Amino acid sequence: MLTIALSKGRLAEQAIELLEKAGYDCTAAKEKSRKLILEDPNTGLRFILAKPADVPTYVEYGAADLGVVGKDTLLEEGRQLYEVLDLGFGRCKMCVAGPKELKDGKLDKIPNKRVGTKYPNITRAYFEGVKKESVEIIKLNGSVELAPLIGLSEVIVDIVESGRTLFENGLDVIETVADISARVVVNRVSMNMKSDEIRPMIEKLREQVAIMNDKKEES
Amino acid sequence: MGNNKYYTPDGFNDTLPGICSFKKDAESKLRRLFSLHGYSEIETPGIEYCDIYMKPSFLKEEELYKMVDQKGRLICARYDGTIPTARFAATLYKDEPLPLRLCYIENMYRFNQSGGGKQSEFTQAGVELMGASGSDSDAEVIALAISAALETGVEDLQISIGQTKLFEGLARQFGLDGESTDKLKSAIASKDSVMIEKTASEAGLSTDDARTLQMLTEFSGSDEMLDEFEKRVTDEQAIEALKNIREILAALDEYGYLKYVTVDLGLFGNEDYYTGVIFKGYTYEVGFPIISGGRYDNTVGVFGREMSCVGFSLSLSLAITALGRQGKIPDEKGPDAIIGYDINIPGARAAALALAMKLRGEGSTVILDSSHLSEQELDEYAGMRAIAATFYINEAKEDEE
Repeated sequence: MLTIALSKGRLAEQAIELLEKAGYDCTAAKEKSRKLILEDPNTGLRFILAKPADVPTYVEYGAADLGVVGKDTLLEEGRQLYEVLDLGFGRCKMCVAGPKELKDGKLDKIPNKRVGTKYPNITRAYFEGVKKESVEIIKLNGSVELAPLIGLSEVIVDIVESGRTLFENGLDVIETVADISARVVVNRVSMNMKSDEIRPMIEKLREQVAIMNDKKEES
Repeated sequence: MGNNKYYTPDGFNDTLPGICSFKKDAESKLRRLFSLHGYSEIETPGIEYCDIYMKPSFLKEEELYKMVDQKGRLICARYDGTIPTARFAATLYKDEPLPLRLCYIENMYRFNQSGGGKQSEFTQAGVELMGASGSDSDAEVIALAISAALETGVEDLQISIGQTKLFEGLARQFGLDGESTDKLKSAIASKDSVMIEKTASEAGLSTDDARTLQMLTEFSGSDEMLDEFEKRVTDEQAIEALKNIREILAALDEYGYLKYVTVDLGLFGNEDYYTGVIFKGYTYEVGFPIISGGRYDNTVGVFGREMSCVGFSLSLSLAITALGRQGKIPDEKGPDAIIGYDINIPGARAAALALAMKLRGEGSTVILDSSHLSEQELDEYAGMRAIAATFYINEAKEDEE
């Protein structure tokens, strides 16, 4: 029996689609209900639907054997996991964003800058580790773009997909922190104890991802 | 102040009687096992100077429970068994003939993110084989680790074996610079094939060399795969590392333990610490390894006496968590008997005491009721506490029901 933790929402749907293409029966997972555990004894698969930020936790503690989760969550949570596969969907960028005027190096001129973000760990790692500077991090829980507009912070660190919300509010991407996409993560013990089930699954998913990527290149 | 008096601190738990007796039994079994193999148990202080963990960086400083002593020096709660044992071997035992065989069963203290069976305070049982190099010594310790897990009751056990020197050798063979070495190392350690491919191509490695690195993540340890991999290796140190693994496997085969072992060439560990073989032990129902060990040839030298060492530690706490979830810990057993007596009858107490002594002498667990329960109350109490037999003495001589 394998327990798979999925990030509730679009990512879960895409993951299920991919698993089906790879030959796994996911009827149980597609059941429309409020159940949090979706189990099919015939296929030996059990799905749990969790908040994205909790998926790495379930997998690290071994409550789930594997999980599908965005790279942003993995970076923020910093869990001890095997990160075995880039699924290629859910693509976006983790960026430093702020008023257009800060582009072209002007960001670095602001001392002791305040940064609003939902991702305090990623923000700290980027400014301290990469840019070698101290910043004041302001943890926010949503509509992060408000912070620089209203003067709570100079810049924000957030996920940018199309950038529309930024542009419509007079903000722009200033620097890219990391490329984000959905990843398959595996518990370190499960990888060893249940390798007969997990390794073939990873291989089948890898094949499907390759086919998907080829199609993208063609079109 | 005062609001926390009902609680234990984060990461710390009380141990209930059933688990506690199971644990103490396991400790006794391990103590005997280690002793039968010639390992002498030592106790090191519960508190050490932080300095012993600092040079070179054995661990993350923030994981130590730190305090200051009267002179303002930094001290910390025992973090692990190996470093204090290394200090011990290099100082108090500096003139002892080698090899030394030492072991410990102690509580360790770490600021971990706790949960899922992981605690800030946990019991480790470990051995250190000090002043002995070579694959047979590695195998001795790995075999003892397997025996220890089995002795504790862990039957679903898997040991993964890797080698720290292997990747170092491959990095040299491929002429990797420091930055790509670090990147590839962390990518291989997390089995991140995409990152391996990306970094390998950035570092200008050929497709075939990149494939060699990928193989590190795929390893599950069949002989053919080991052969296939060996063909790709030219660096002397890497070849030596593979030879070490083969020799360990051959030895473990003779111990009859090969069925528990797989090879994981992507297992590296902290290279400031490990210098050769490295191994982890896993079981079902806990998400963390219950056994961790390896060769550490440069550690004792820090304390003034160079010696090649290999050791392991078994987290008894995690093993017991796993066994509990696997349903392998028997329920707590009540006492065998309770004896009450009528205090108003002269000689009844003496008779009850004599009976208790007799039964205890035969190995039964016996409560002598000193709270003067009546015969009926005694029966009720015995029922609630699942005590198998009750005796009530209301005359001067022994009265066995």
